[in-house]
Amino acid sequence: MSAPTVSTDRVVKQGFLARYGTQFAMPAGILVLLVVGTVLSDRFLSVGNLTNVLINMSIVGIIVVGMTFVFVTRGMADLSVPATLAVGGLLVLMLDDVIGTWPAALIGLAVATFAGLVNGLLIGYAGLNPVITTLASGTIVLGIAQAFVGGVIVYGEDPAAKDFLTGRLFDVVPMIVLIFAVVAVLGHLVLSRTVFGRWTYAVGGNPHATEASAVPVRRVKAGAFVLTAALAGFAGVLLGISLQAARPGIGAGYEFDAITAVVVGGVSLLGGSGSIPRAIGGLLFVQLLTNILTLQGVPSEPQGMVKGALIAGAVALDVYLRRRGGRE
Amino acid sequence: MRSITTVGAVAAVAALALSGCAASGEAGAEGDSLDICYVTAAESHAYVTPANKAFDEAAAAAGATVNRLSQEFDVQKGTDQLTTCVSQGADGIVLWPLDPQAYIPGMIAAKDAGIPLIIINSPMDAAAEEYYDSFTGPDVYEEGELSGEALNEVLGGTGKVVIIAGQAGNGTTIGRTDGFTDKLAELGSKIEVLQVVNADFDQQKALEASRDLITRFGDEIQGVYANDDTMALGFIDAWKESGRSLDALPPIVGINGQVQAFDLIRAGQYYATIVQSPAEDGKLAAETIIKLIKGGSVDKRLPIPLTVVTSANVDSVEPAF
Amino acid sequence: MNTVRRAFDSDVFLGLVRYRVAIILVATVVIAASMVPGILEFRVLSLSLDRIGTTALVAAGLTLVLITGKLDLSGGAILALSGIAAIGLQEQFGQVPAALIGLGVGVLAGAVNGFLVVTLGINSLVATLASMLFFRALCHVLTDSRPFSGLDPLFGLAVSRPIAGTFTLRTILFVALLVILHVWLTRAVAGRNLFAVGSNPASAEASGIRSNGYVFGTFVFAGFTAGAAGVIQSLSVNTGSPVFGESTSLLAIAAVVIGGTRLEGGRGSALGTLGGLLVMAILTTAMEFSNVPAYIQSIVTGVILLLLILLDRFVSGKKGRDLSLTALLRSLRESRRNPETERTHAP
Repeated sequence: MSAPTVSTDRVVKQGFLARYGTQFAMPAGILVLLVVGTVLSDRFLSVGNLTNVLINMSIVGIIVVGMTFVFVTRGMADLSVPATLAVGGLLVLMLDDVIGTWPAALIGLAVATFAGLVNGLLIGYAGLNPVITTLASGTIVLGIAQAFVGGVIVYGEDPAAKDFLTGRLFDVVPMIVLIFAVVAVLGHLVLSRTVFGRWTYAVGGNPHATEASAVPVRRVKAGAFVLTAALAGFAGVLLGISLQAARPGIGAGYEFDAITAVVVGGVSLLGGSGSIPRAIGGLLFVQLLTNILTLQGVPSEPQGMVKGALIAGAVALDVYLRRRGGRE
Repeated sequence: MRSITTVGAVAAVAALALSGCAASGEAGAEGDSLDICYVTAAESHAYVTPANKAFDEAAAAAGATVNRLSQEFDVQKGTDQLTTCVSQGADGIVLWPLDPQAYIPGMIAAKDAGIPLIIINSPMDAAAEEYYDSFTGPDVYEEGELSGEALNEVLGGTGKVVIIAGQAGNGTTIGRTDGFTDKLAELGSKIEVLQVVNADFDQQKALEASRDLITRFGDEIQGVYANDDTMALGFIDAWKESGRSLDALPPIVGINGQVQAFDLIRAGQYYATIVQSPAEDGKLAAETIIKLIKGGSVDKRLPIPLTVVTSANVDSVEPAF
Repeated sequence: MNTVRRAFDSDVFLGLVRYRVAIILVATVVIAASMVPGILEFRVLSLSLDRIGTTALVAAGLTLVLITGKLDLSGGAILALSGIAAIGLQEQFGQVPAALIGLGVGVLAGAVNGFLVVTLGINSLVATLASMLFFRALCHVLTDSRPFSGLDPLFGLAVSRPIAGTFTLRTILFVALLVILHVWLTRAVAGRNLFAVGSNPASAEASGIRSNGYVFGTFVFAGFTAGAAGVIQSLSVNTGSPVFGESTSLLAIAAVVIGGTRLEGGRGSALGTLGGLLVMAILTTAMEFSNVPAYIQSIVTGVILLLLILLDRFVSGKKGRDLSLTALLRSLRESRRNPETERTHAP
């Protein structure tokens, strides 16, 4: 007797929305924003305006690359970004007249990376909770930076470097956007095509199985935090040079901006999924939305209402689609 | 569970007893030095830092010790720090008010404790007047008026401008902005204010706010009034960042008289600034509080001089800092 | 090497770790007293406690949230919002009703958090980040980004003045709250259930505890305490401001963690939070009295935090040993009497 043909597909046949929803939502969203923006303001769809949007997102974008790694390895979040960013900015300006801007930048970067190493050791190897650890380490690092600088504003002595960074390549492409693009592409390549990247996904998606399979779990987890600190330090260096002035509070708020972008981009806090393009997509979405609101005259502080609702909406949607899609 | 609490209690009491011995040994060694508690606006700020330094120097010259607490532009912190000053039993208190009236309860406590208190640099509301002995510092309303006059003059009485204001709710911000708008009204000027943004007297925040302004209004902006030079620099950064040429900068009027502003006036990119010396600000406050502590009397209002600087006199006046 | 390991393994060391909050508190008091002789005057102590009052109220609510394994970053924003309501509505409703409405705002905000975390299933870090952004922006919208004053600066004076020369109303409130919470957590069934929810929500659910209800409830409670903090803060300075409470949430988290409550959930103590708050209060006052810059205090707080969680991690594997003080003393006495005896522990 032939058994009736029953679908042995244990993975439930997913509806189109559930299966592709999470992939199409972001590009669709960005498209919607572009349309809405053009309708609401004739200034929106101009080269000048869109270039500005790109410039605005460059510094945060560099940090977003790092934060994505942290999310993917299930490292929760890195709240020490304001400190490592400040270290980069303060050091590059403090030392630029002593040893030149670019060597000073390297030192700033090195110190920030060292801070990230401390984070990595505590979180990856000692297994401490990332939120509290990065909070504490950030406080300590920022305090040391302030003590080192004497708690005052540091001014830069190299307007040429500033002109270089704030200038444009071929008079069209802003230098800082170019740098961000390079970092983003590199980050994406590492995450998606290298062994380290695959390990990152594995550690975040299923830490126990990964441990059994001889992947250096602790090193990978630590690596995400070292990377984020280095990138934040780099962003701080760039910011410092472009302002030629840095105060210890220079990095305030960047960690939450980065987390917002990553979350809106659909990268899960629980690890194991997501990608750099998604995170950048989230960043672009938030920046476009901010731009539209600004053009409408909404002051920057109240824009937080939209951002907050956006985050809640994006994650709720993600949770919903995951449940529907039969995953986890 | 009782054990933890018992241990904790026993230990705390033991520590108290121990330290009590140490404390009683040192108390009473106050000496004759005057203790000033100085609640300042910030540690790292282009204007505040030199003011703090001048304050310290003037106090040291008079043989007084200064305990400086920094609010970091946080009013809540400042009110707490004011209470610390009072409970510390300082001989005199100097307060840099970031809000026109939030400090009143603390000032009442100071008055009750008989501690002379003066405010530096920023005005407070009329309601606070009975609680401080003197206000030393610039006349911020007048600065606003002078700026209004200057911008009106350079724009020929008409045009669209943006205002980059300081910390919201701060007496200096209110004075400088109100003075500006009131003067324009008084002159019958047809200048239209497109938008007012708050940038907390900070260059980085001014850069971010200016980006938004330039995004929204772009070349419509025909004039800029910044509550201080530091923020004006942020605007200039944003202008350059947007790819526009510095020659196309709208005339800018700032306040403070910073070196960078002077250079920009010479280069033609800045129209006017108002020199207000932070060194004089700090020095006058220190001298005033010391005089009060020693039992002298001072005027309720002690202004510091202001000079408007344009390309006409930029070479004959010294920058403030 | 063996001696070192045995030292770390010894009951005394572990006992020290267990009572770390008390030890740190005592150490802080001693160091502060040697730095600043006048610090142990009653007047000064009372002031220190009042200083930490606002953070303390937020920390009380946070303690419960952390015990259930969740996080709440929105305390500061709720604080500001409630304060704005309490001051802004004074003209319309009168001072006391406006304050009550402010409390209600806190409760409502907490309910929003509960909704996001429990009903929508959003991770609490992200959810309260979102609500923090939202509420903070709401504060700015309502006040047009400017602080504003209430009707009478003297009304709120009562809140921050020492009552009968002892402690301020604010201090009495938060100490009482933390003590009550401690009793509830250790004696009431519902309190103990909270720990179960934090350790393992699934198995708690299986044994009949409504985990979701508890989590929702703790967020509402955290909103309430943040609201209370905001109302009292705003009343004491007669000002409603959109920027109040910006650093409060993080300070409160630090105090709660110093006090022994863990982010992973399942462990915590309200008395511990009180201890953590006292440590921070004394540190702040000592630093300010001796003109030590604020960033030194940040470094000290950060180091204490790190040391504590490191110690915690280190010790977490040593469960099953009776570490109460009486047992410790007993084992010390025994080992001195019989140095050769191999001590065995009950499994």
